[in-house]
Amino acid sequence: MILVIAEQKDGKLNRASWEAIAAAQQLSGGAMPIKVAVAGQGVSGAAGELAQAAVAEVITVDHAALAHYTPDAFVQVFQQVIAQASPALVFLPHTYQTRDFSPTLATRLDRAIVTDVIAVKGSGSDATFARPMFQGKLTADVKLQGPAPHIATIQIGAFRADQAAKGSAPAPITAAAVTIDESKLRQRAEAPFQEAKQAVDLSQAERIVSVGRGIKSLENIAVAEQLAKAFGAELAASRPICDNGWLPMERQIGSSGQTVAPKLYVALGISGAIQHLVGMKGSRTIVAINKDAEAPIFEVADYGIQGDLFELAPAIIAELQK
Amino acid sequence: MAERETLEVDVLIVGAGPGGLSAALRLAQMQQAKGGEPLSIAVIEKGREAGIHQLSGALLDPSTLHDLIPDFAARGAPLGTPVDNDNIYFLTETGKLRLPITPPPFQNHGNHIISLSSFTKWLAAQVEAEGIDLFWGFPGQHVLYEDAAAPGVERRRVIGVRTGDRGIGKDGKPKGAFEPGADIHAKVTIFADGVRGHLTKQLYSQLEIGIASEPAQFAIGIKELWDIPKDRLKPGTVIHTLGYPLREEEFGGSWLYAMADGHVSIGFVVGLDYKDPLFDPHAAFQHFKRHPFISSILADGQLVRYGAKALPEGGWASQPSLFVDGALIVGDAANFVNSMRLKGIHLAMRSGMLAGETAFDAIRAGDSSSAALKAYKTRVDASPIKTELYPVRNVHQAFGAGLMAGGAYAGIAMLTRGAGLPDLAGHFGHREMKTIADYYGLAKRDILVASNAAPIDRKLTFDKVTGAHYSGTHHDENQPVHLLVQTDVCHSVCGPEYGHPCVRFCPANVYEMVDNGAGGLRLQINASNCVHCKTCDIMDPYGVITWVAPEGGEGPSYDGM
Amino acid sequence: MKIAVCIKQVPTREWQPRLNDAKTWVRDQDVSYEMNEPDAYALEESLRLREKHGGEVVVCSAGPSRVQQVIREALARGADRALHVEDDSLAAADAVTAAAALAAAMAEQKFDLILTGLQSDDQGHAQFGPVLAEKLSIPHSTIIMEVNADPAANSLRVKRELEGGWFQYVTMPLPALLTIQSGINQLRYATLKGIMAAKKKEIAKVAAPAGLASRQSIVQMYAPQKVKQTVMIGGSPAEAAKELVKRLREEARVL
Repeated sequence: MILVIAEQKDGKLNRASWEAIAAAQQLSGGAMPIKVAVAGQGVSGAAGELAQAAVAEVITVDHAALAHYTPDAFVQVFQQVIAQASPALVFLPHTYQTRDFSPTLATRLDRAIVTDVIAVKGSGSDATFARPMFQGKLTADVKLQGPAPHIATIQIGAFRADQAAKGSAPAPITAAAVTIDESKLRQRAEAPFQEAKQAVDLSQAERIVSVGRGIKSLENIAVAEQLAKAFGAELAASRPICDNGWLPMERQIGSSGQTVAPKLYVALGISGAIQHLVGMKGSRTIVAINKDAEAPIFEVADYGIQGDLFELAPAIIAELQK
Repeated sequence: MAERETLEVDVLIVGAGPGGLSAALRLAQMQQAKGGEPLSIAVIEKGREAGIHQLSGALLDPSTLHDLIPDFAARGAPLGTPVDNDNIYFLTETGKLRLPITPPPFQNHGNHIISLSSFTKWLAAQVEAEGIDLFWGFPGQHVLYEDAAAPGVERRRVIGVRTGDRGIGKDGKPKGAFEPGADIHAKVTIFADGVRGHLTKQLYSQLEIGIASEPAQFAIGIKELWDIPKDRLKPGTVIHTLGYPLREEEFGGSWLYAMADGHVSIGFVVGLDYKDPLFDPHAAFQHFKRHPFISSILADGQLVRYGAKALPEGGWASQPSLFVDGALIVGDAANFVNSMRLKGIHLAMRSGMLAGETAFDAIRAGDSSSAALKAYKTRVDASPIKTELYPVRNVHQAFGAGLMAGGAYAGIAMLTRGAGLPDLAGHFGHREMKTIADYYGLAKRDILVASNAAPIDRKLTFDKVTGAHYSGTHHDENQPVHLLVQTDVCHSVCGPEYGHPCVRFCPANVYEMVDNGAGGLRLQINASNCVHCKTCDIMDPYGVITWVAPEGGEGPSYDGM
Repeated sequence: MKIAVCIKQVPTREWQPRLNDAKTWVRDQDVSYEMNEPDAYALEESLRLREKHGGEVVVCSAGPSRVQQVIREALARGADRALHVEDDSLAAADAVTAAAALAAAMAEQKFDLILTGLQSDDQGHAQFGPVLAEKLSIPHSTIIMEVNADPAANSLRVKRELEGGWFQYVTMPLPALLTIQSGINQLRYATLKGIMAAKKKEIAKVAAPAGLASRQSIVQMYAPQKVKQTVMIGGSPAEAAKELVKRLREEARVL
């Protein structure tokens, strides 16, 4: 059985939970039952959503001590859930939160863990996990040893949430019999708060529109901005644009800027010099628009349009707004 | 605001290449042999670790190594691959002529194909084992002189070096972790700052150390490391070529050295005194790789690393004054390269040793004036450096009259060991470049297209930006630009006169002429692509480019080069 | 405060790392090494905490003898002494193995606070910190932007980064372990005096504990494969735009 630990905050399910379910379903191939666990305070709504998935059971833990996430509380909870459910594998999405507690959980259980998995091969408990190394420049196929369960955290975006199969009927929801020893909770967490984003963190963006030399002038950057807006994307740039001061350095993608791997990367007027490619070629879907059919960017693109970006950008914006 | 650090030492060595490290090691050896009050020695190096900025073909003549470290084998010196066979070819556009005999200077029996970077790394470990302080990531920035010369003293005494500031932003203002450069005061400073050393350059202008010598001349060497199928070339194969793609008027040629396991060092050298203002040395290298002989060697291979460096070509006659009050100059900075044999490492090491010995004696005698340090020049004159360089002192200068004349001169020099030949005047290479009008007449040309532009296929031939990437060069973007250029020249006369040759002679795409938004062009400096080769500092026809050291620890990553 | 900083030596951010013959790691010959950049921020934070609260900063590292390079660098920047669990077998150790290697030696030292980077630039497991904390039975928090220590009260209040521009303050007792977010401070430079002094600072060598077995093995490493064929979309701008958006919606499903 594969246990997927879903994540929710204030009753809202983190989309990456569906990705972890999709990963579990792929590995199981129908041969292993899948159960999903979710913990927090007031999780019935999230549980109801998860019950739509083609899974055997949704396990909930609803407790006041879980109102704000702390690693101590979550490790206590899931240690018990795992003891009761006896899975062969435990999958979690690789979020800031699971990074905070899944290694602790693995150590407390004295079980093997692999993090930031981008693909799962094989079937059942003899799985091979692929994960990025050297900041994505190489991939490693990893096997885990030791007794079950093995724990894996799944990279955000490595699997598609919409590929998580839905069940023909809602799965049963069970409240787990779990006790929390509050005297052992060492962390005290305050309510999360939002701060005005100081720095642009392109590595978190799901979609990026990136602009290069082809934009020709500072005035034309507005074209790229509009395209980014239409895509619901962050705006980024290749080095020459930032060197010119047309966009700030934080928006630079490449070997002297940021490395990103969003779901969608639109390269607008970018030739694809190797310094730029190393910063974005891990993107899931790459669209390249360039006047020059020989531009190296087309070698890494999924979709390419050879043409004038000043004609194509407005046309794409119009299409997106339909 | 952080205070400026000061450090007092007996000997400061600027540059941790083979010259500087040999000086340090020799000092330690003298110390052990002669005993007495231990000398305090410091070595500063702009690279972040040993060997990281070192690049050469390279064929090592181990003669100096035998003298400096007799037990080098036991100490694991990385001597790479012994030379097995020498081959010289004259290339035509599609063919090749093999020289039936290998002239003595090109015979490499007993030499080794090495990675200078790995060798320097090992040498640094020997120096470190002696307990000498090696300061990585500390470039020298200013030579320090004694205040106001004493009456009757013509030259100012060198008292040390100030290292570069760290933590200054692109706008020139200090960033959070700002550290001003440190002042290192030394009784003797040994300048081993390499070809066109930027500190030695200050000595040239401030102390006129070049006044009694022929002008320094240079070439640019562009190098690549390749992995090819393992059985294709016998390890230890040494190939040199002349001819295609260079013309009669251009000096240069190539090398291709086969090491073990299919690793190949390949490179192209062009004299930085070419006449055609629209010529591009990097493009010549690409044409060379496309020659059927070379492309068949590299077929199915993979580019591993790229780099470039200038080389001193002026030989014996172009050595500057090697000593001043308080300082000595060694290695490439003193132009000690045998341009006929294409070797300079053993000479850098030898000069380092001799400088070390001289410095030791000077410190012990309590006198590091130029009168005392003159002993260095005396030692050099009595050493294998002179024996080797003097006979071929004019080879490059002879090539100024063309390939045939140069070849003839070189041939005679070999036979007579330099006797009986007239001393030829050297020339400043950058002044040999003709204007577009002189070279091309008045026909209109696209000045931003090289006259020898080469096709780029990204398998065999690559563009400069890709090369810069493969050099591993890295600089923080948020720092002042380290190429100082008087851009009013770029934006007025250079275009019409020479067509912005910096765009072509820089092997790393540092210089670009871009649209200035007002119908013209402006110079854009991509400083972070710089591989510290010094070509721009040498070759710009107006002499308005000055290379200064960027923040310490940055620059290329020449592992294996 | 007695502060530990766990620092890893990693291959430099090599642009085209090449595989060894077995395809299980990168070629050793090509590699040059440097301090893991996230750990450099942890080191800087530890030095600031020492400046504020007094005490000492101890560098803790595990690996072959070459790891001394980064230990020396940390000492040159101001750390007081170091602990080196030296063993060749730890050369490419995963996070759990590295934590196990250091745990016993570090437990003995009874640190008040342990800092480390949030993950390594080479393997990027992001596990080392929490695993070490658990082995030492101390609380932890990760991706920390701000550290406020009250040694007298044996208490720590830290600002944690969450996704999407959210943050959270967490309080816990000392001793504790934190993984530090990169970029939260300006890294100081090593001075000449610092570099010279580093040579005299103590690096205590400790043997790796027996029976360290990794539970993770690399079957093979490879360059990420591009199995894709580029689909060139033609036609007029309006036609191409229509086709592109259609494919992005239905095929790639990124909209």
